[in-house]
Amino acid sequence: MAGKISNTPATYTPSPTSQDKKRSSIFTGSDWVRPDGRGLHQCRPAFLRTGAVNSASGSAYAEFGNAKVIVSVFGPRESKKAMMYSDIGRLNCNVSYTSFATPIRGQASDSKDLSSMLHKALEGAIILESFPKTTVDVFALVLESGGSDLPVVISCASLALADAGIMLYDMVASVSMSCLGKNLVIDPVSEEESYQDGGLMITCMPSRNEVTQMTVTGEWSTPKIHEAMQLCLDACSKLGKIMRSCLKEAVSATQE
Amino acid sequence: MVGLSLGEKNFIKGGIAQDIRTDGRKRLTYRPIFVETGVIPQASGSARVKMGATDVIASVKAELGKPNASHPDKGKVSIYVDCSPTAEPTFEGRGGEELSMELSTALQRCLLGGKSGAGAGINLSSLSIVEGKVCWDIYIDGLVVSSDGNLLDALGAAIKAALSNTAVPKVQVAANASLDEQPEVDVSDEEFLQFDTTGVPVIITLTKVGKHYIVDATAEEESQMSSAVSISVNRQGRICGLTKRGGAGLDPSIILDMISVAKHVSEQLINKLDSEIAAAEACEEE
Repeated sequence: MAGKISNTPATYTPSPTSQDKKRSSIFTGSDWVRPDGRGLHQCRPAFLRTGAVNSASGSAYAEFGNAKVIVSVFGPRESKKAMMYSDIGRLNCNVSYTSFATPIRGQASDSKDLSSMLHKALEGAIILESFPKTTVDVFALVLESGGSDLPVVISCASLALADAGIMLYDMVASVSMSCLGKNLVIDPVSEEESYQDGGLMITCMPSRNEVTQMTVTGEWSTPKIHEAMQLCLDACSKLGKIMRSCLKEAVSATQE
Repeated sequence: MVGLSLGEKNFIKGGIAQDIRTDGRKRLTYRPIFVETGVIPQASGSARVKMGATDVIASVKAELGKPNASHPDKGKVSIYVDCSPTAEPTFEGRGGEELSMELSTALQRCLLGGKSGAGAGINLSSLSIVEGKVCWDIYIDGLVVSSDGNLLDALGAAIKAALSNTAVPKVQVAANASLDEQPEVDVSDEEFLQFDTTGVPVIITLTKVGKHYIVDATAEEESQMSSAVSISVNRQGRICGLTKRGGAGLDPSIILDMISVAKHVSEQLINKLDSEIAAAEACEEE
């Protein structure tokens, strides 16, 4: 699908930090060499398209390297009668993996946990007061799990919400980082994630410079967290710009 | 929890802004912590922690199992939290499931470290018996009996106490086992190994109300929060896990500030917990 676009996919590689961290990793005695040949602080090219699912209110398809995700948004729809009246809207998120998404069939990793994380990441960005008494459903399907799945799902979901016309405070961009020995590696692939000593995922609203979600796993020292946050936030703002340009392209394509 | 009136909400927020909370504590003071160990005789280790009206029980069970194919030299730890309906009527049936999942994932993140096992609070390699064939499976179960805010910190403390109370039986492996057979393992009833819990981190939840952060929020204070960050810090002052909860966005500089506040508070909390756990163990032996 990526071959059909006319221009090369945009990338959201952050600006390099001033220090050059070149210390040996625990594996080969030299720098961690990335399987796809990227630099340590280089992100995968991002391919984003809206309007992937015709029957949904809004939808988006994202391909970041091998991670392929499709998200569709339905709503605002009437809430179930069993639910209490609420004067702000409700958000319902669901993330599921296809059975062929992982190399071993049916090895879906914590999809229940991902649904609640997606919910938390998006609820800060949606203006819930604009659709009282109704529910917006966000359904994400991971077609292929290529590492750094949750950030891709979150970014794609926010694009789908924008495509559906739901009022948002800002686009939500998400990037994750892995710590492999002494190296900080941005936008890890599945192989790097399985060896990681620690991981950091940030979801932020770039224009407002607000972090809506952050999770850190593994042992980190404070300067390392500083550095990782800087890199991730920089990458998030660039990803935000790419998402906006994707939305503009979709609109200008329909106007022609 | 009964709903709060506008006057009560303003009282809570105003008090926090002036460093006096509704129960008289300062912003960075914990409620008195009571620790009791060995509360569940059938488990390998257990503990009960009370922080004010929040009451949680953690139990640790060690069973023999087969290690993962991807990590043959490591044991397995699984953490699960159950929110009992005795705490809140809404927890009955499926109601407490979302909160249970959130707490379980946050605890796993804080205690188990990265996928390669680095930075884990529990040393997984010490749980291996025969590489690739037999290892210890540790099941850590948390139970929320009564909920008055700050569940994550209480569960973290309870797990730390339960692990220091855990006695894993010594194991004799039959020497004549061939390579592809399942080796015979003799579990001793008499001799036990104590778990080394010096590396287990504590979890500090900082709740942001207005412009200030408080530690150890009660349920009322949590209802007024804009967001909360739970940070897990170990004895060496390194961050072992971080989860942001709550919907509102936070400026990145605030998160970094919260990390330094958490490190400062963690020193006192670790010392307090260690002395309480030691006192509880001494009590139990009598």
